[in-house]
Amino acid sequence: MSLPPTDATPEVDLPTLQRRYLAAQLAGDRARALHIVLEEGLAQGVPAERLVASVIQSAQREIGELWEGNHISVAQEHSATAVSQLVLAHLFHHASRAPRNGVRVLIACVEGELHELPARMLSDALERAGVDARFLGQNVSADAVVLAARTFGPDVVALSATMAFHVSALRRTLEVLRGALEPCPLIAVGGRGSAELAPYEADLIVSAATADEAARALLEVVLRIRAGDVSEAGIAG
Amino acid sequence: MKHDTPALYFSRELALACDANGVLVEADARARSVLGAEPGTPLVRLALPGTEGKVAALLRAARGSAVENWELSMLVDGMPQTLSFSAWPAGEGRIELIGLRLPALHTTSVQQLNDALAEVLELTRESARQARELVEKNSALERAYRELDESNRGIVSLHAELAEKLETTRRTAEVKGRLVANVSHEFRTPLHTILGLSRLLLDGSDGPLSPEQLKQVGFIRSSAEELSRMVNDLLDLSRAESGKVATRIDRFRARDFISAMRGMLRPIVSPSEGVSLVFEEPGADIEIESDHGKLAQIARNLVSNALKFTERGEVRVTLTCTDDELELTVRDTGIGIAQEDIDRVFEEFEQVDGPLQAKAKGSGLGLPLSVKLAELLGGRLRAESTLGQGSTFILNIPRVHPEAREMNSLESRELRSDAAPVLVVEDDRKTIFLYEKFLALAGFQVVPARDVEKARKLVRSVNPSAIVLDIMLEEESTWEFLGELKRDPSTSNIPVLVVTVTAREQKARALGADEFWLKPVDPDRLLRKLKSVARPNAAPTVLVIDDDERARYLLRKILHQSPYHCVEAANGPVGIQVAKSLRPSVILLDFLLNDMTAFDVIDELKADPRTRQIPVVVVTSHELADTERERLTAHTQAIVPKDHLSRELAINRIRDALGKAGVRAREESGGTNG
Repeated sequence: MSLPPTDATPEVDLPTLQRRYLAAQLAGDRARALHIVLEEGLAQGVPAERLVASVIQSAQREIGELWEGNHISVAQEHSATAVSQLVLAHLFHHASRAPRNGVRVLIACVEGELHELPARMLSDALERAGVDARFLGQNVSADAVVLAARTFGPDVVALSATMAFHVSALRRTLEVLRGALEPCPLIAVGGRGSAELAPYEADLIVSAATADEAARALLEVVLRIRAGDVSEAGIAG
Repeated sequence: MKHDTPALYFSRELALACDANGVLVEADARARSVLGAEPGTPLVRLALPGTEGKVAALLRAARGSAVENWELSMLVDGMPQTLSFSAWPAGEGRIELIGLRLPALHTTSVQQLNDALAEVLELTRESARQARELVEKNSALERAYRELDESNRGIVSLHAELAEKLETTRRTAEVKGRLVANVSHEFRTPLHTILGLSRLLLDGSDGPLSPEQLKQVGFIRSSAEELSRMVNDLLDLSRAESGKVATRIDRFRARDFISAMRGMLRPIVSPSEGVSLVFEEPGADIEIESDHGKLAQIARNLVSNALKFTERGEVRVTLTCTDDELELTVRDTGIGIAQEDIDRVFEEFEQVDGPLQAKAKGSGLGLPLSVKLAELLGGRLRAESTLGQGSTFILNIPRVHPEAREMNSLESRELRSDAAPVLVVEDDRKTIFLYEKFLALAGFQVVPARDVEKARKLVRSVNPSAIVLDIMLEEESTWEFLGELKRDPSTSNIPVLVVTVTAREQKARALGADEFWLKPVDPDRLLRKLKSVARPNAAPTVLVIDDDERARYLLRKILHQSPYHCVEAANGPVGIQVAKSLRPSVILLDFLLNDMTAFDVIDELKADPRTRQIPVVVVTSHELADTERERLTAHTQAIVPKDHLSRELAINRIRDALGKAGVRAREESGGTNG
């Protein structure tokens, strides 16, 4: 499958695509879900980041709402998420990518946090932006983050706490990281858990509508620091 | 859960009841233990923070009618867990609820599936990353390859151009060489006739001449000699330019050289002309190690030029040495050379126009040849002059020729302990250098010995790992030396590599000569040579095979007065027949026969046992190519050189060759050395 130029104006009706995607997700129909995103989306000229934002992320929000309304069970939610995981992996393979800029970002969900999709989407978005992104997955202990940071040498460590409940785990991880890494890379936080933090507790609090926006914001900060435009202290999200 | 009873622990259900405001009024033991539910707490308080909405929604829904399978996220043991609730209205706003904990197995297996999936997806991503990198590297490689290809093409075409130019240059040089060789041959044949016959006339072998006739014949001869010299110069220059000239280095004293020059050049000064030729005695006792033949050639050229262009005054020759550099100057008080013309005089065939120059015609080759010769000696030639006052030609050469210096250092080099010594018994410098290069690469060190005597000494002192022996070095003595080595138990195990004639010019010299006896055959020389071979019995016969009647005539005349019997053959086939039937003592074979080549004649002679042993001397007026020379040296006993300086060498060789064949001339005065 060849990739069309990303600046082509798509004639594709994204809301419809999203609806059909969600239906496929909930039906557990992986093949159809893939087809919708890759053939009817990407191959028709819709850029990957639009698909992630308008189809996958949007569907994921709806899934949350559906559970909220008790229209679907937690099991259904899990299997639907799994479908999106698969689709994201395929998108990663096929989507175009900016040339490497040498920036490194380590991403992890804090201990206890099992919602890894948002963090995964951020990771993929960063890669599309030319960043070397390493995603450690869900439920990562603070020590595991430290170890990974020591070997990978990132410019930024991004911690995800999707649920507000996990703010204490977030705080704990922040403390451990600051104590163990010298010099300490930039620490960015995201998810509802991060909203519970005071502004000074993390270097950067990421709250953006889409994963790609978040990725770009992160990248910009790093590049500006490298260029000497801003100092590391006192950056707000 | 530690303090629960088994019933409490294993049961999955819990029961709750809320009032119309959503505050708990009842909670069973399970609910209390699992959820920490206490009557009086609002139900929403039990929810996972952030999920209170769904709890409120449940309560709302259950007011109206029964609700089933309502999932709520609650904190169990401080950890978020999903419970499935059923709820119904129980009157007066009271809501009763039954909650079910989802089987652990279910959640764990889902979790495990998730984990497995995450791993697989991560792997996929990783392979996608690597595929990308490969593509990037590939395109970079392709770019580099394209650039390389382009520059390669450039280089290939450059090579082709160079090869073409080389080929053109080579062909031009070849053509020129052949032209020069042919020209010189053409000139020489009639020349040698003139020289030979005029000599006969001057000798009065067919009757005396009147004084006037003698004078005339004398002029004829001197003109012919000068012409001969010019032809030789041309040939020398051509050979020097194509790198075919070899240097023969030996040690001589400056004083001896100057006196030899004095003697050689006095005849060319005409006493009546008012120009004196002065040779300054070299101040110090200088020993020179170089090619004195070439040095003499240069000196002769410079002096004859100086004399040519000086009407009155003097030509002064000085030889000095500073810091191991020799300087030979020839200063004249002649017409001089204008500054702008100084470079031109060194060019071939260039002569400055002027009345005196017009009087003194030269071939215009002397100076360029001298320049070339100077280079061969490792030095340079230059001129200084003031128009109308005179010129000074200055030759600078190293006192010790670079080749000799290298050879000396090689010989005096101390033995190293880390490389096995190889004794090289060889007198040709260039060959020794060659061995040095190749053997050094293989980890050996070369210990040179220029003669068998030295070789004998060095074998004892150096104890070489191997010996390279030029078997033609001293013929008999080298064979003897080899025999000695093999008989002596202390040296019999040293491997000896015997070298005979190779394809190189210098090697051919080991057989006797690399040059050829040019016509006209100098009678004294010929007689001396023949006299040196002594044989007690039959009159030695000399068979002359030459299709040139005049050449045969000359030789016949020369030998007429000698004890040698001369037999002639006008062509190859006849010559062979005569050789087979008559078995002469020596055959003088002209190289350029018309019907058969000299090679064919020699092949035939060597093939027949009757004539195999007869020494063949090749006489020629033709400049031979290397390949021709090689072939000849393989078959002939001796090739007689033209250069008078190696005459002694040639004579000895011929004597040995004839001696080997058992030929001795009838008249022998004891111990003649030719």
